[in-house]
Amino acid sequence: MTGAEQVISALKQHKITTIFGYPGGTIMPVYDRLLDTDIEHILCRHEQGAAIAAIGYARAAGTTGVCMATSGPGATNLITGLADAMLDSIPLVAITGQVASPLIGTDAFQEVDVLGLSLGCTKHSFLVTDPSELADVLEQAFTIASSGRPGPVLVDITKDALLAEVPQQEIMSMEPVKAPEPEHKHLVSARQLIAESQRPMLYIGGGVVLGQATGELRDFIDATQIPSVTTLKALGTVPYCSPYYLGMLGMHGNQAANHAIQQCDLLVVIGARFDDRVTGKLAEFAPNAKVIHLDIDAAEIGKFREVSVPMRGDLRQLLPHLTLNNLQLNEWQQQVAELKQQYAWRYDHPGERIYAPLLLRQLSDRVCDKTIITTDVGQHQMWAAQHMQPAHPQNFISSSGLGTMGYGLPAAIGAKEARPEDPVVLITGDGSFMMNVQEMATLKRRKLPVKILLLDNQRLGMVKQWQELFFEERYSETDLSDNPDFVTMARAFDIPGRTITTKSEVPAAIEDLLTSSGSYLLHVRISEQDNVWPLVPPGAANHKMLEGNS
Amino acid sequence: MNHHTLTIQANHRPETLERLLRITRHRGFKIESLNMEQDQQNGQLCIEVSVCSERPLKSLEGQIAKLWDVIRVEESNSPSIRQSAYA
Repeated sequence: MTGAEQVISALKQHKITTIFGYPGGTIMPVYDRLLDTDIEHILCRHEQGAAIAAIGYARAAGTTGVCMATSGPGATNLITGLADAMLDSIPLVAITGQVASPLIGTDAFQEVDVLGLSLGCTKHSFLVTDPSELADVLEQAFTIASSGRPGPVLVDITKDALLAEVPQQEIMSMEPVKAPEPEHKHLVSARQLIAESQRPMLYIGGGVVLGQATGELRDFIDATQIPSVTTLKALGTVPYCSPYYLGMLGMHGNQAANHAIQQCDLLVVIGARFDDRVTGKLAEFAPNAKVIHLDIDAAEIGKFREVSVPMRGDLRQLLPHLTLNNLQLNEWQQQVAELKQQYAWRYDHPGERIYAPLLLRQLSDRVCDKTIITTDVGQHQMWAAQHMQPAHPQNFISSSGLGTMGYGLPAAIGAKEARPEDPVVLITGDGSFMMNVQEMATLKRRKLPVKILLLDNQRLGMVKQWQELFFEERYSETDLSDNPDFVTMARAFDIPGRTITTKSEVPAAIEDLLTSSGSYLLHVRISEQDNVWPLVPPGAANHKMLEGNS
Repeated sequence: MNHHTLTIQANHRPETLERLLRITRHRGFKIESLNMEQDQQNGQLCIEVSVCSERPLKSLEGQIAKLWDVIRVEESNSPSIRQSAYA
């Protein structure tokens, strides 16, 4: 068998049925062998689209995504996707072709040191020049990507290694890396802190989703009735009907969530990492709270905040150990309930023009529990995080750590390929949509019924908002009033659509969007004046939130 | 500015040192000295690196420990620490 066939064999060994990529010179041996397999290759129109589609696939399916590209520009175009997967801890295996080994370091055509480029944006990376190493390396790659704290792994393979004959190798499955068992003394301390706390809060992060511990978390909340908040990545882990769930915390979080965190005396951090967008001014974040930190990654525990009880391990195992019944939290729960009521989102926006939060709430109320929402990055993303109510965390897919504009469309493609029976709605903005707009060709080719909701304020809205608030209204390069006609552009890809401008059009337009048989673009004109509120200004504590006129 | 010396045992790959240098810089530490030797018996690398930073050492140790090729990382008793302790 050839090295290229070894790659295919490894993909099959790991039950990979769908990959995303773009062919080119050095990776051609693998593409040639793909013709003879039943692995579905999704041709994206840019390698960045392929990487992000693989991320969307991984996040929707809860499995490892695979993307593939050629050397040089193919590989460099993957880099943003790798960085995105790194920041959001998404299991991803990226396979790239490399120039033949004698040409490495000679500035050959489409040669770039992708191993060097990968060091800052992957969990690990390999350069394979010896075909006899290929089977072992690919096995390692899949193990590393999905074990512990997941992340992206790059496997760069020279063309001569792909073409070489290698003896059929039996692939030895690697044992997954075992999470450490919780230490007894820490369990005792944590349970004692929880039992003694008068005002405990759960600060829940994406680690719950990655650790597939949503069920255990929900059981824990049902039993303890401890109030909770989530990060952007953990939206959907706690049911929205849960009486003491306050939504997202942080810079654009719900005020109730931020105030409750500031008032708590115990913070139980579950798969979260004190991101700066979450904590605001770190020194004033939950200033009176002791901290119990549960995470799979030892490097995150105590990274920014002194921890009373460190608990490194598998969240599925840890959470049942901490489950206590009959906690006497009535007074605190009452306060939390009052905060929740006081700071409930309001949708009574005056006038006839479309108010994005209201529209998103209407959309959220209309979609079914299986619907997957993907977003781009910007104001629309924060509005979606505030006002959409996903039933499950795998149903809300958004670039959180890296904040990658252009993420939404390819992520939606990946999600739809992963779960073809479930509806997929992309919520995007006019700035972000143009960043990977070429992937509409992938929608067309694959006939994927992805529903696109495009909130168009003809601005780079979030940047403009910051220019308005923090740069004395000096608007530098945020005017997009020369946007293309989006509906006409979509039509060029056989995607029907319409534009709406007033509130009264919204219900029928949402109905058309969701019930159309294929892809559909709902182009929504909104005011450039609408900003995302509330907002914690940079460097401020989370209880010092700005409220706008919206 | 705090000074520390780390001893690192790692698999010998062409890019192992590169990974270590990158992560040290990126996590906010300056390298003051570096020595690397290969163990002739097991082929592994033994790296001793002295660093300085305002940041706590554990923030770097934790990141180095996560590198896939790193087998062990521990702080040595560096002269600078001993000096400051006795000062």
